[in-house]
Amino acid sequence: MSTHHHHEIPNLRTLLGSRRGGGTRGRGRGRGPPGSSHEGNEAARDNAVRNTDQDAAGSRVSCVKLGYLLDPYAQFFAIQPSTRRLPLLNRGTYVRTSAIDLLVDRFMTIAPDAPKQIVSLGAGTDTRFFRLRDKYPEATIIYHEIDFPANTTAKLNSIQRHAQLYSKLRTTPPSSPLALESMASSYHSPTYNIHALDLRTLAIFEDGQLPSLPNLDPSTPTLILSEMCLVYLQASVVSKILSAFLDRYVPAPTPISLVLYEPILPNDAFGRTMISNLSTRDIHLPTLATYPKLADERLRLKSQGFSNGFKAADTDFIWREWVSEDEKERVAGLEMLDELEELELLLRHYCIAWGWRDGGEGGLFTTAWKDTRQQEEG
Amino acid sequence: MSSGGSDLDKAIAQLRACRPIPENQVREVCYKARELLIEEGNVVTVDAPVTICGDIHGQFHDLMELFRVGGDVPDTNYLFMGDFVDRGFYSLESFLLLLCLKVRYPDRITLIRGNHESRQITTVYGFYDECLRKYGSANVWRHCCEVFDYLALGALVIGASTTLTPTDGPPAPTNTTQLAPLDSEIEIETLNAANEIMYRYARDSSQASNSQQPSTQSPSASSPTIPTPSNIGPAGTSATSSSSGSPGTPGGAILCVHGGLSPLIDTIDKIRLLDRKQEVPHEGAMCDLLWSDPDEIDGWGLSPRGAGFLFGADIVKCFNYKNDLSLIARAHQLVMEGFKEMFESSIVTVWSAPNYCYRCGNVAAILELEEDGSNAGFVRRSNGERGAGAGGWILGSNVGPNTSNRHSSPGAGNGNGNGNANRLGALTDSVPQRRRDGPGRRYRVFEAAPQDSRGMPAKKPVADYFL
Ligand SMILES: [Mn+2]
Repeated sequence: MSTHHHHEIPNLRTLLGSRRGGGTRGRGRGRGPPGSSHEGNEAARDNAVRNTDQDAAGSRVSCVKLGYLLDPYAQFFAIQPSTRRLPLLNRGTYVRTSAIDLLVDRFMTIAPDAPKQIVSLGAGTDTRFFRLRDKYPEATIIYHEIDFPANTTAKLNSIQRHAQLYSKLRTTPPSSPLALESMASSYHSPTYNIHALDLRTLAIFEDGQLPSLPNLDPSTPTLILSEMCLVYLQASVVSKILSAFLDRYVPAPTPISLVLYEPILPNDAFGRTMISNLSTRDIHLPTLATYPKLADERLRLKSQGFSNGFKAADTDFIWREWVSEDEKERVAGLEMLDELEELELLLRHYCIAWGWRDGGEGGLFTTAWKDTRQQEEG
Repeated sequence: MSSGGSDLDKAIAQLRACRPIPENQVREVCYKARELLIEEGNVVTVDAPVTICGDIHGQFHDLMELFRVGGDVPDTNYLFMGDFVDRGFYSLESFLLLLCLKVRYPDRITLIRGNHESRQITTVYGFYDECLRKYGSANVWRHCCEVFDYLALGALVIGASTTLTPTDGPPAPTNTTQLAPLDSEIEIETLNAANEIMYRYARDSSQASNSQQPSTQSPSASSPTIPTPSNIGPAGTSATSSSSGSPGTPGGAILCVHGGLSPLIDTIDKIRLLDRKQEVPHEGAMCDLLWSDPDEIDGWGLSPRGAGFLFGADIVKCFNYKNDLSLIARAHQLVMEGFKEMFESSIVTVWSAPNYCYRCGNVAAILELEEDGSNAGFVRRSNGERGAGAGGWILGSNVGPNTSNRHSSPGAGNGNGNGNANRLGALTDSVPQRRRDGPGRRYRVFEAAPQDSRGMPAKKPVADYFL
């Protein structure tokens, strides 16, 4: 699926075996002709990828320790002792996480008694499910995470090791860990599901059967999250994956929405530098070139079938407009931040895009997100 | 090293190759630097010609590129406006090289303090960790921090010419505007690293207006381009259209400070009176000078940085008038074009760290001020504070440390009556404010050093992104 394989469907058996780039929150996902390198290289890459996955978990812990985020679960997924991150990165992690939290909260609180379904693509070590269980103990949530087996296995291991985690998986907290095999890569329950799966397998349903996603309910309003995940795939593959959800897994008239967090503006000086820096780490962002601006993100959501709403804002706008003055003051007071101009540059180069199809159920997402302001320009 | 010369030259050679020097040598250099710096006033007087530089932030390879573009020490006089350390991977080598050059050529290089020259900030932003990594202990960091406490808070450049001698170079291929003719009074030149002229504006030229926005391209095709300036004049300038200067007329002095102004400081003399030999405080005048930023506001505003203030055009113009300044040069803020003039060229930001943090994609700039011809016979002296009776070159209220009779001697100024605060108040009301002509300004714009820089340890562009 690198450029010379542009429209080819990957050989999935090889892909699943090699799991190249399958480690961190979607990093490197879906690139490169797998199996073409030596075993040693593959192992080294896997290792590097796992380290960066831990880096992401460490970033979250850094934010939690300094008071940016409230997340008692982040520490359980960070294996290495966390180092304090630069204020700029803490602020960026804060904006990203709280922006998605805000959209999710408005989804959760609209018709609070109705069941809700969330599908987190490339969830990695994300803790959102556990936080939602605490915040909405009465809600009916069907939560799904899809990631490579290497990630899901590690995650399940962490969950099994900590009562604070596995106790959240059931309504009646069990006195013992989940009865899972030590190398289990998937977990299924009416509430929480971890699917060990290469996302790209969802893109080939025209040619065959869609993979089964146990407990994915076709009639429950569904929110799909892609935090730095789909951006690593070719646009044509992304489109097919989304169609699988829109048309097959959660067909109309069930309300369905997508929230994207990913970079924008690849063509200015900062964007070009970002692409060049990441490519030296063998990280490529195919859809960034396809959807360079906020307007492209909106249009793409619309043409994908999220026809009732298609909005986008960069994270600089979100920091300024979504975060309350009190909260801004609180966060600004956590650390002295000397990197203002750099922070603004960085925040302007990431966006949240959100689109929805309400179907016939009285505009659930339209209502939930009616007060969520998007950026007019861009 | 105690014998001076050759040991120091060896240390300089080693540092130029981006190799740290031994801990005992660091201690010695720091001790000597402190002995020098302790003699400097809070505001160092510097004669033009001088090249003014902004933040370096440990980007050693780019500092070498700066010297390549701007000329080497001691051939070129330099004034660095702080933030030598943190963020980049070679804070130690960068700062120690500058410090060694300061000890070796004290009259040729001036270092003033940035907000990162602080114990607290360096523990968050990398310099502390770097010292620990490179020496295995915090001793070197401690030695450096002691030097930080002695760095001057500002500099006053005097004797700068209001017009530039035009550079004898070809127009840059990217130049899209008419260059001012060579026989006009050149106010601004912008050159790329290849010494090609990107812009040249005459002082009375209609080209020097904000309305004209030449589109700029990269000086070299392979690297990040210079984005088209948006809210600023040609390539970061907001050139003036005043035509009152004549060649060789000395303009007002240029105040150089890392951040900006302070609501507690209305005259340069008040800076001179501060007790600077300490860690940068969290608030107060000293903190503000190192942390504040100019902004498009009226008066003063709270800074989103959590330290210092924002200040508007009115504040700058009033301060400049009161202190007989023609320009404030400051650093502290990343500008993608390398420099940015604001408030009708009354203040300029100079940024000298290209591709900041190996991530931002910006170009860097340095600002050259030429010597005024009429000052040619003036004897260069060391960077020590100019005494009140040191000679005929007394600017405004900047007559030196002896300020006890300031308010009772209105004649202490240079004849413009700026020495007396009370009298100034009356003047600003009754006399139409005519700005001093700014100095002629030559900006040299440069990009990040190439990846494989001349056999030095590699750059490490492992910039973080949200992935
Ligand atoms: Mn600074």
